[in-house]
Amino acid sequence: MAAGPTVKELLQAYPDQIRLVIKNYPYKYRDFSKIAAEASLAARDQGKYWEMHDILITRSPKLDRASLIAYAGELGLDVKKFTEALDSGRHAKAIEDDLQLAEAMDLYNTPTFYINGRQVIGERPYAYFKRIIDEELQKAGR
Amino acid sequence: MRYPPFLTIMMKQVLICLFALLLSGLAQAEPPRVDVPIGDSPSLGPANAPVTIIEFIDFQ
Repeated sequence: MAAGPTVKELLQAYPDQIRLVIKNYPYKYRDFSKIAAEASLAARDQGKYWEMHDILITRSPKLDRASLIAYAGELGLDVKKFTEALDSGRHAKAIEDDLQLAEAMDLYNTPTFYINGRQVIGERPYAYFKRIIDEELQKAGR
Repeated sequence: MRYPPFLTIMMKQVLICLFALLLSGLAQAEPPRVDVPIGDSPSLGPANAPVTIIEFIDFQ
């Protein structure tokens, strides 16, 4: 799971004050978690990470290989290159590294957030994030 | 007004204890923070932004 709309709203409300970083924690018992994460990085190769990120969240759980390739086409990516990246497992190691980090941190849920290092587990309402961000901005003197 | 020396020392100790208590109280009010390495992960927004949100996601 990912908190697409809430995070997007925060980024719009605090322009230039938030940096968002995505780590993948594909749950091992779900069929398409890993391939979807790899697809997001394959789209990144072609400069369309966030477009793919958004479409994956909207269309989830329809994330089988054929659907991912179709989304790449919708986004105007070079489908041949995208498919090669997917099939060769070009980004498998990057995803595996994220996964190991998440496991080392003992995470058990997605989404899990770290806001300047402060952990927030699961989807929360906008106001919950806003309170933490405002506190952090105040601390930073902004 | 002058206090006998032993009383002055005691008052100093009491003050030091109070100060230490105050400091530990402040430390507890600060939420625990985790240092997550960012590495080469996809990111959006300025690198020097005052707030960094790291989101662990699963698209499915």
